[in-house]
Amino acid sequence: MVKFYLEIYILKIRISVINTHGVQMPKHIVSGLKYLTAVELIRDGFSQKDIAKILEMDRSTVSHYLNGRNLSWNSIEVAEIITNFCSKDFLTLTYALLNDAEKTRIIIKTCSKKKYQAKVEDSCIGCGLCADTCLMNAIILDDLKAEIDAEWCCGCFMCGDVCPTNSIKISEEKNGS
Amino acid sequence: MVANVKELKAKEVTVKRASPEEKRELSFKDEICVGCGICEKICPVQAIELGPINAIERTGAEESKISIDEAKCVLCGMCSPVCPVDALEFKIDDKSIKEMEEYPKLIKSSEISDEECIYCKACETACPRDAITIARVLPDRSKLVTGEIEIDKETCVSCGICEEMCPADAITMEHHEPTSAEPTVSTDINVDKEKCVYCLICKKSCPVDAIKAVCRSCSYGEYDLNPEDTEIKGSSFIDEETCVDCGWCEEICPVDAAHVEKAFEGELLIDQEKCEACGACLEICPCNVLSFPKEEFGKQGAENVRAEEKYCIYCGACEKACPVEAIEVKRTAVKHTPTKSKSWDKKMESLKT
Repeated sequence: MVKFYLEIYILKIRISVINTHGVQMPKHIVSGLKYLTAVELIRDGFSQKDIAKILEMDRSTVSHYLNGRNLSWNSIEVAEIITNFCSKDFLTLTYALLNDAEKTRIIIKTCSKKKYQAKVEDSCIGCGLCADTCLMNAIILDDLKAEIDAEWCCGCFMCGDVCPTNSIKISEEKNGS
Repeated sequence: MVANVKELKAKEVTVKRASPEEKRELSFKDEICVGCGICEKICPVQAIELGPINAIERTGAEESKISIDEAKCVLCGMCSPVCPVDALEFKIDDKSIKEMEEYPKLIKSSEISDEECIYCKACETACPRDAITIARVLPDRSKLVTGEIEIDKETCVSCGICEEMCPADAITMEHHEPTSAEPTVSTDINVDKEKCVYCLICKKSCPVDAIKAVCRSCSYGEYDLNPEDTEIKGSSFIDEETCVDCGWCEEICPVDAAHVEKAFEGELLIDQEKCEACGACLEICPCNVLSFPKEEFGKQGAENVRAEEKYCIYCGACEKACPVEAIEVKRTAVKHTPTKSKSWDKKMESLKT
């Protein structure tokens, strides 16, 4: 009988471990990413109200986040590691975690520490594959040529990967240049 | 990743790509395609392949003249505006790029001016693509020739000679078997004045001079003809889908009512030495440019195939179809509307040979 209760106890622990480190994992990382974004947005001068609206969160949650509460496990550390991934991994992982293009764009734009210069060469045929591919919605077509908005470009180069004419050149902007 | 979708409906192929931002669609109509291969030449990603045109045309094989590889196609739309016969249509968000200024278009057109057209139908007959329809309303025949005709039924012996002779079928008799109550061969004779042209043949052939007739046109000239009554009305229609702007209508029109502008300028060269007169080019040419020369008795023709270059649109379909490389089609000018895209401009210019 004691053995039976012990088994149940172990099972309960296992389920809670799965809940914390398995099923719930993406949510925790998303909280971490949202926390990092909120901190950056506060620095950029946004109010807590604005942030709540942008990230589609309760104002109280934002407040909690900014006070360092309600964040479980080491989600902030994990989120920080993710923001330091190469741009494509940061972008695709964030999108996979959130499954929301608009919020992904905001988190990437806010947390990305690098700036990029994008150039589209005259060999561009205006097929629009890059614009269809860009998760950041940074590309539009103008007069049969792609135009990349450096403000939104995250440097993932997924556009360049699909470009049939290799017309896209993206380079990291060095500080001060 | 957004992928292309290919749809096949009868002989129409459509390649589509839809993203949240826009929908692109390229459709190809095989029955319009002439197999010139210009699309294959311009495609920047080698997604288009020209089929065995010669075999398809000769055997009537159920095969599409071009094949579009949807895995390679990036839906840039470049093949569409360069097609000389508009067999490829490209749409972005259901709007044809023909209606978008930023996309270049070949400058080509065919028009028939209704002001000058006399509705003779020469163009309709000559058009190699049966793209022209001339609808005409002819004047009333009875208003062009006027006169008087009267049959003296008392004198008439109902011989039926006038009825048989009348070239306009204007005279009818009521024939019947004679009876004792009605001992005649005909009960009545009438002239349809709508049909009568006052040629006076009835009068001249009547054995008993029962017909009195006079033609006003002959004796008094044309003074009593109302010009409106002689007017030929009509309308002309060119089916833009099938028209290839070859210029047959312009050449054959006797009153210069047809005007054709061609997109390509060039040269059509036939090496008569190499030519084996197989006729493949004759069959493929959408413009009836080529023909076998008429045989002249006792004279060995120097030409195996004749070309009337004024009808040529320099599409190059014959060159592609020729099995012995006896034909060369040179394009020296490609007239198109301007585009700001350097790559498109360069590609359009690359159609020159």
